[in-house]
Amino acid sequence: MMRRNKPAWSGHSCPLLLTLLLALTFSTPALAQDRPVVLRGGKLLTVSHGVIENGVIVMQAGKIAAVGPASSVNVPSGAQVIDVTGMTVYPGLIDSETQLGLTEISAEDMTNDLVEMSDEIMPHMHTAEAFHAESALIPVARMNGITNAVVAPESGDTLPGQDSFIQLAGANATEMLLLRDNAMPLNFTGDQRRNKGGFGARKFPSTRMGLAAQLRQAFLDAQDYKMKWTDYERKKVDFAATKDKDKDKDKDKDKDTNKDKKSEPLPPKRDLKLEALLPYLEGKKTIVLAAEGPSDLQTAVSLANEFKLKFVLNHISHSKPVLDYVASLKVPVIVGPIYEAPKEDERYDTVYSLPAQLYKRGVKIVFASYSAHNVRNLPDQAGFATAFGLPYDEALKAITLNAAEVWGVADQLGSLDAGKTANVVVANGDPLDVKTDVKQVFIAGREVPMTDRQVQLRDEYSKKGKN
Amino acid sequence: MLNCVSLTVWLTTALALASAAAFGQSEGAAHHDVVIKNAIVMTVTHGNIANGSIYIKDGKIAAVGETVNAPASATVIDAGGKYLTPGIVDSHSHIALDDDVNEATSPITPHMMMKDAFDYQDKAIYRALAGGVTTSLLLHGSANMIGGQAVVIKHKYGATRDEMLFPNAPRSIKFASGENPKRVYGSRDQLPSTRMGNFAVQRQALVEAQDYMREWDNYNEKVKRGDKDASPPKHDLKLEALADVLRGKIMVQIHIYRSDEMLTEIAMAKEFGYKIRAFHHALEAYKVADQLAANDIAIATFSDWWGYKQEAWDAIPWNATLSMRKGVRVAIKSDSEDYTRRLNQEAAKTMRYGGATEEEALKMITLNPAWIVGVDDRVGSIDVGKDADLVIWNGYPLSSYGVPEKVLIDGDVYFDRSQPGLGTTHYKEGE
Repeated sequence: MMRRNKPAWSGHSCPLLLTLLLALTFSTPALAQDRPVVLRGGKLLTVSHGVIENGVIVMQAGKIAAVGPASSVNVPSGAQVIDVTGMTVYPGLIDSETQLGLTEISAEDMTNDLVEMSDEIMPHMHTAEAFHAESALIPVARMNGITNAVVAPESGDTLPGQDSFIQLAGANATEMLLLRDNAMPLNFTGDQRRNKGGFGARKFPSTRMGLAAQLRQAFLDAQDYKMKWTDYERKKVDFAATKDKDKDKDKDKDKDTNKDKKSEPLPPKRDLKLEALLPYLEGKKTIVLAAEGPSDLQTAVSLANEFKLKFVLNHISHSKPVLDYVASLKVPVIVGPIYEAPKEDERYDTVYSLPAQLYKRGVKIVFASYSAHNVRNLPDQAGFATAFGLPYDEALKAITLNAAEVWGVADQLGSLDAGKTANVVVANGDPLDVKTDVKQVFIAGREVPMTDRQVQLRDEYSKKGKN
Repeated sequence: MLNCVSLTVWLTTALALASAAAFGQSEGAAHHDVVIKNAIVMTVTHGNIANGSIYIKDGKIAAVGETVNAPASATVIDAGGKYLTPGIVDSHSHIALDDDVNEATSPITPHMMMKDAFDYQDKAIYRALAGGVTTSLLLHGSANMIGGQAVVIKHKYGATRDEMLFPNAPRSIKFASGENPKRVYGSRDQLPSTRMGNFAVQRQALVEAQDYMREWDNYNEKVKRGDKDASPPKHDLKLEALADVLRGKIMVQIHIYRSDEMLTEIAMAKEFGYKIRAFHHALEAYKVADQLAANDIAIATFSDWWGYKQEAWDAIPWNATLSMRKGVRVAIKSDSEDYTRRLNQEAAKTMRYGGATEEEALKMITLNPAWIVGVDDRVGSIDVGKDADLVIWNGYPLSSYGVPEKVLIDGDVYFDRSQPGLGTTHYKEGE
């Protein structure tokens, strides 16, 4: 029956095993790649241009220098060559929504920096400023080949703050935070109603109407705020011009009275909340629009359109009746999680099959773990979606190239292509199968130490004499 | 092999479902003779039979092998070369209780019967069924040190309430420990608010049960001796239940995380003379696996959950396999309306973390949990005489990809992926 292939390095002479042992001696992944690393003999899932059997990938100075069949790629001199025959090699996986670095132990509040619940409108919260680079959760995630992730605040607020896009290895937070404030969630799922209570409600907003009005007001305030600043900038220019003219006048004329002179315009008071909304109002950054059912979805989309926001959709787990409408919006969807329980009137497989249904309609989909501790299981979800009709290649794309495109980093990440960051995973098989064991992860061309707190505990308690 | 290579083949087969004769459509109909042929039969107890057949008579497995003798009148299901496993047994579930999981008004509530809260129409039952689950142990929650008594169900969605109760299943009671009881009662400034308090409360209850049992034993002795003046002690449901624990009539299932607490529970069980059937969650079992094995205590654990609370901080995904290698009977359970729908994937992770064999992994969601529930002589493997609780999978079940095509319970099809609507043969939408 099912028999696992013996790994290529099961003998002691295997070079990968040696490098793995060496890798363990690094306590933190260092910043720059020392010398070229070549992976030879693996099955390369490039994502962008098919599968290369017996391929070679060259990683140099943190980038992928070359990818191709063994016959056509030159191995640079002085390179460390690793034989990965029998292995599958693929780009680092990208998780499109996590809380990595914002939590350690869910039930222990002091370890949580997930969402600021004092108000529904908190766009000036920056996850980058809470991101804990030394979190024990990050090595656990990257051990399974997740190399990049969106860090988002939890969804308790309508506007809970701004996302970051991280790399799961680096000397410190600054290095790991590839993008700060790259996107902002706008949550409209009903869960943001914290003042519910019907006739007993005391605090605004307690309903969806309230949340929508509050949101609309926030964007209107931001528009006004922008106008004030534009106005100020204009006045400043005018003032400078007038001043220059006055100077000339002063030269020409005598020291006359200054009664004509305008006073220098004062800048408007800065408002961090409104300031944070401006790049989104200007369409420079992406709003991640979260809704579950058809009604909330359409309300949220109308709101976004009212202010001409650029958006991608999130969840839409119970919007099966309006998937054609979703397709007509021509925006990508972070779908699921597909494990979301169906509603009473939905079939058992309604949510499972959502990725396939969206794909069929031409929608670009990506997956997210929506998790911190379980980020490592991101690929399982993609695999499971294929059992409900999503083509395998699309499932893999949804956690690699599609995600890179959605987050604006496709020039650097998401596929095995020369010129991209060398985030590369070596595993003993199919990346989307739960049984597959990741053997080595490279981030920016460096071998990531294949250990974490859990491996350490395993090894400690597997020692002879101990238990 | 199907597991790695032929994804596209799976996708094709997933869509082109083998059509089988419909049967078992009407509720309460007499059992039919059924033959499932042309399957890769994963027996769990005696290896796999490539191209195997199963003959089902009166809801039981009557024969299994490369060929079986069956009457020509038997309904034939052609499995089309697909995998066939025993139905999955979930040894830790709280579905179908309409949120009546915890009677969190006192830390000792052994007289709560989960059967009284069982909501047999909960669609979570059929969603689990659609993931191949045929038997579940529905437990009280972990708010109380001693919670209520479990109910064992078969996932015959669409059948009547009584038809869904596992006939003559042994009784189980839920004990808890650690953070949950101390959080629940500590937050109300009540005892227990510490682990010391937890165990004191438990011990106090067991001491009272000993007294109660003695009183009744004395009374019964007197009656036996013909003492006409003997007056019976007052009935106390709570202590009656605990006395049955002490008498060994109820299996003890303990919610527990930390290894030190496992040792304390083992000591307490010895102190009062009862046996612990299984530690549930048991995320630190790998630290004391020898002691668990020596006391014949099974574990019902997660594959890789961790970090959701302090006592889950030392969880490792190798827990199941490390414990198994020390001789502990290991089950992978869901404790979740979500995960119960894909326990096959959770079991498959043990092949990756620690190298469980295919059969070992499968055992963790079939025969081992059946033992924990006390029904391993009836379900959990494909053996002659056992209930015909079976799953035909569209692909290799121990993977991300395998999903059930048909699920049979007692020889009747209860889930069929090719059926419209809910995909279950015994339930009509709108009912």
